[in-house]
Amino acid sequence: MSKGGQSRTRLLLVILIVTSLFLVTLDLRGVKLLDSLKQGMQSVVSPFQRTANSALSPVKGFFSDISLIGRSGSQIEKLEKENAALKLELLERQDADVQIDQLKNILDLAGTAGYKIVNSKVISQGSYQSFAQTVTIGSGSNAGIAQNMTVLSEYGIAGIVKEVYPNSALIQLASDPAFRIGVRIVNSQQIGFLTGRGERFAALQLLDNSTDINEGDILMSRGSIANRPFVPGIPVGYITAVDNSPGTIAQSATVRYYTDFSKLSVLAVVVGGPSSNPVDALVPQKPQPIPTPTVTVFVTPTPTPSN
Amino acid sequence: MSKGQIGISSLIFLAVYIVQESIISQFRLPGGGFSILLIFALSWAIMSEHQTAALIGFSAGFLMDLSQNTSGPFGQWTLIMLLASYAISYLGYGDDNFFGGAPGVVFSIVSGNLLVELMFLVSAPLLGVPVGSVSQILFTLFGTSVWTLFLTPIVLPIFAKLYKTFFQSGSLK
Repeated sequence: MSKGGQSRTRLLLVILIVTSLFLVTLDLRGVKLLDSLKQGMQSVVSPFQRTANSALSPVKGFFSDISLIGRSGSQIEKLEKENAALKLELLERQDADVQIDQLKNILDLAGTAGYKIVNSKVISQGSYQSFAQTVTIGSGSNAGIAQNMTVLSEYGIAGIVKEVYPNSALIQLASDPAFRIGVRIVNSQQIGFLTGRGERFAALQLLDNSTDINEGDILMSRGSIANRPFVPGIPVGYITAVDNSPGTIAQSATVRYYTDFSKLSVLAVVVGGPSSNPVDALVPQKPQPIPTPTVTVFVTPTPTPSN
Repeated sequence: MSKGQIGISSLIFLAVYIVQESIISQFRLPGGGFSILLIFALSWAIMSEHQTAALIGFSAGFLMDLSQNTSGPFGQWTLIMLLASYAISYLGYGDDNFFGGAPGVVFSIVSGNLLVELMFLVSAPLLGVPVGSVSQILFTLFGTSVWTLFLTPIVLPIFAKLYKTFFQSGSLK
């Protein structure tokens, strides 16, 4: 490369670096210069996401079944095609059944506590690049969803609404490292903060160091002012390990969320909080041990024949 | 770069971005998955002059910042991708390049992907972006590298052909 070319490249590089730093600085100072562009881009992408979500739902079945298409029309092939179509239908049905089950559980949960909710399908999973845990749902401000609303899964807390667009919304999952929620422990009523760790487990920090916590203790959400971002009384998770290190300022523990973040297909956004605090109405039932049936056999000894 | 090349490559970038956001993001793949936009940008950067590579990195990073799934301030990915694309072009472009042959290019893209993630991890605490537990970070870094290593040999010929069509045929100049 010539000297002129080199200096042009350097100049361009400097200009681009300065522009990037300028964008970062503006964003950190709260100047949302490109927010409308971001919103516009999401409006462009969201129909594609919706279409891809519908199309890719039974994708595994589709790819295995498509190999049957294009053969000559003998009876066996006809039956194979019918079989393939039925398989595809079944897969779609199974997918729908899973969604119906999740929706039913969500409605049960919301109904018990008296939450007003808007249900929506998950239309896109988040990307890994930023180590963030997010999903996109197919309803937005047109359905009454606003920023900082609580999002429920069938088992309890799923996250909060981070960004809203007209027909979609970005949900920050409870597993996201930036996620924080105020919780209380059922029974002891101790309060603390739960922080996401990028996985299904989260870190709990209690405010009071003098009380005891135990493995298996259940955590519920404490609720926020005007129910945003969190409505009270949602099951969050249970304690799996307690950190009893001496000298710690606050007691801490590891918590496993009830929600399985890898299997989210339907979510509910709480658009209206309960008229009264549900307190412990939603505490999940502990699994009941299934009794093992026992069979008692009475054996009558056969009399020994006497000589 | 001519105006025609800029226009066509912008459209291609936009198409890859939509594929990433609408199709790839439908799957929650084990180990974090991959970014087709990242692989695309790095593979084009390695085939380009430094000047073009810097522009490619800037554009890809800008698009990544526009993604709603991105955490952190706007511009963070723009800066990271700009530096990574320039660096990979600096090492990979020309006859005396650091990575010779197709396996070298694949290796460079996988390394570039890892470098980009590491740059994000380094810059995240400075910009106040939480990144999660160490075990999760290591798992994601490993997972994404494996995915990139698996996918790059498949998509690289397509990306290389696209690049040759628009940048080396001279038809758009």
